[in-house]
Amino acid sequence: MVSQTETGSGRPNSPAQVRRLTDFDLTLPALGLLILFFVMPVAMLLTRSVTEPVPGLGNYAELLGSSTYLRIFANTFIVSSLVTLVSLLIGFPVAWALAIMPSRAASIVFAILLLSMWTNLLARTYAWMVLLQRTGVINKMLLGMGLIDTPLPLVNNLTGVTIGMTYIMLPFIILPLYGVIRKIDPAILQAAALCGANRWQSLVRVLLPLAMPGMAAGALMVFVMSLGYFVTPALLGGTSNMMLAELIAQFVQSLVNWGMGGAAALVLLVVTLALYAVQLRFFGTNRMGGR
Amino acid sequence: MNRPFLQIRGIRKEYGPVTAVQDVTIDVAQGEFLTFLGPSGSGKSTTLYILAGFENPTRGDILLNGETLLATPSHKRNIGMVFQRYTLFPHLSVGENIAFPLKVRRLRKAEIDAKVRAMLKLVRLEGFEDRKPAQMSGGQQQRVALARALAYDPPVLLMDEPLSALDKKLREEIQHEIRRIHQQTEVTILYVTHDQEEALRLSDRIAVFSKGVIDQIGTGPELYANPATRFVAEFIGDSDFLPCDVVSTVNGRADIAVCGSMTISNIPLHGTASSGSKAALMLRPERLLLSKTKSDIGLPVTVSDITFLGNNVHVATKTRKGNDLSVRLPFGHEAISGLNRGDAVWLRFDAGSAHVFGQ
Repeated sequence: MVSQTETGSGRPNSPAQVRRLTDFDLTLPALGLLILFFVMPVAMLLTRSVTEPVPGLGNYAELLGSSTYLRIFANTFIVSSLVTLVSLLIGFPVAWALAIMPSRAASIVFAILLLSMWTNLLARTYAWMVLLQRTGVINKMLLGMGLIDTPLPLVNNLTGVTIGMTYIMLPFIILPLYGVIRKIDPAILQAAALCGANRWQSLVRVLLPLAMPGMAAGALMVFVMSLGYFVTPALLGGTSNMMLAELIAQFVQSLVNWGMGGAAALVLLVVTLALYAVQLRFFGTNRMGGR
Repeated sequence: MNRPFLQIRGIRKEYGPVTAVQDVTIDVAQGEFLTFLGPSGSGKSTTLYILAGFENPTRGDILLNGETLLATPSHKRNIGMVFQRYTLFPHLSVGENIAFPLKVRRLRKAEIDAKVRAMLKLVRLEGFEDRKPAQMSGGQQQRVALARALAYDPPVLLMDEPLSALDKKLREEIQHEIRRIHQQTEVTILYVTHDQEEALRLSDRIAVFSKGVIDQIGTGPELYANPATRFVAEFIGDSDFLPCDVVSTVNGRADIAVCGSMTISNIPLHGTASSGSKAALMLRPERLLLSKTKSDIGLPVTVSDITFLGNNVHVATKTRKGNDLSVRLPFGHEAISGLNRGDAVWLRFDAGSAHVFGQ
C-alpha cells in the first residue's frame, strides 16, 4: 500500500514542495490569531498607560514615585521570594523521596499532586481559609491541645498568603526537580560515599549541584507565577500586604483607571521578562526541566 | 603469611527467597590482585557491594587487619572503588574530582594539590585537570575514576567491571595501565569481571563464582590445568565435553569408556561417579593431537569444518556418536596440510590434559 502511493504520486519530496511546506505563510493564520487576541490587548493596555489621562509617562512617575505603590512592589517581591523559598525547602525532599520511592508508591503521590492541581483553585483557596481562620480547624486543634491561649493570626496576612500560595506552587517545583533527580545515577552517590563523603557532604557537594538545573527552572517558574498571582493573595491576604495583581485589579475594576492599571501591568511584564532573560543566560532553554 | 590481610568469612546474602551469595569465604593477602570471575547473577558483584558497604550480608563477616568492617558505614571504610558505569561527578573538573575525597577529609590545600598532581601522573593524564568529565573519552574517565579512588591511599581497591563499557582495544590498553598501577602502588585489588581473558591477564588469583558459590580459587594456570568443576573448566579456557561411561574409579582417578569402544585409563575425576555411571570427559582443543593415519589409541572422528584464525587453525570434528570436538593447531602445522572437510582423522591426547566430571 505504502509503496504504491509513493510510486503513484510521483515524487512528493521534490525541493519545491519541501520549501512550500516550510513556508512562512502557512503560519499566518495562527500568527494572526495570536496578534489579534494576545498581542493587541496587551499593546492597547500599554498604550493606554502612556495616553490616559494625559499623554506622557505620568502614570509611571506616579507608580514608581509613591511610597504606597513601592511598598506593594516590595511586598510582591517578598511574598514571591518567600513562596519560592518555602516551595524549594518542601519540594526538594518530596522530589527526592519520589525519585527513590518504589514506582507504585510514587505513582500514588503523583496522583495526589495532580489531583490537587486539577481541583478548582477557588475551592482550594477557600479550603485553606476554613483551615486557617481564627475559629478554623488548625487554631481549634492547637487551642484544644493547650499549646496556645489565643488563636494564631494565620489568615489575612503574610502567613496566610505564603501557606496558600506555597501549596498551589509546590507541584511546579516538584515536577521539574523530580525529572532532574531521577536522572542522577545512584552510583554517583555511592561513589561519593566511598570517597568518604557523609550524607550532608554528598547532599551539598554532589546532589544539590546536580539538581541545580531543575531547582532553577522550578524556582523561576514559581517566582514568576507568584509575581502576578491574584486569587490567593486576594482571599488569604490582608489589606496591609497587597500584591501587584490586586493593585492592577483595583485600578481597573474599582477605580476604572486604565492608565495606572496598564502601567502596573507593564512593570510586571518587564520584571518577568528580565527574569526570563536571566534564566536563559544561565541555564538555557534546553536545560529547562533538566533535559 | 600469618594473619590474612582481608578475610571474607562465610558471607551469605539473601533477597527474600533468593540466595545471591552462599557462604563465600576467601582470604586475601596484602597487595594481592584477586579477581571474582563469573557470569552475571553469580554473586560476584553482590560480594563486592557488601565489601563496599552498599549491602549488608544476611550473615558472615568481613575482617580487615583482623577487625570487622561491617560496623563501619561506607563513607568511613576508606575503601576505593571504580564502578562499571561512569561515576565521575559531572559538575566537577577532573582535578576537582580527584580532590573530592581529599576535600571531604579536610586536608590542607597544598597537600591536596600535590596529591592531585601525583595521581594524574600515576594515570598518565597530566594536563587534563581542568577538563570536565563530559569532555573525556570513556577510557580516560575510568582512569580518572581510578585516580580518584586511589587518591586517599585506600588499603583495598574494589573494581566492578570497570572496562565493560569500553571496546576491546581500549580495554586491553587500560588492562596494562591497571597492572602497572597495581605494581606501582601495591594496593590490594578485588576485581569483578565476567571476561576470563581479562581475569587471566590481570590477576594473581581468580575466584570463580557460580550461582552464589565460589567453585574454585587459584592462579590462572591452576584453574586451567586442574579445574575443580565442569563450570570452571568451561569458564577458563576452551573446552569440549564428551559423554563417557565410568569403568572404575580409584583415588580420585577414573578409567572410562568413550564412544562405546575406546577405554582410557587414569584420568583425574572430579565430582561423584562410580563404576557404571555416566560422566563427562573434558578435552582442551589445544591439547589434542590430530593424525591422518589410523591408530588404535586415537579417537576416530570426521572433519566437519576448518577455520583459519590468524596464528591458529581451528578444526571442527564430529565423533561417530555425533558429538562435536574441536582441535586447535598452529598455522602451518603439518597435520593440517591437505586436510579437507569429510576426512576421517584420529585424535590423541595425554591423560594429563583430560578430566572427567561426575554428575
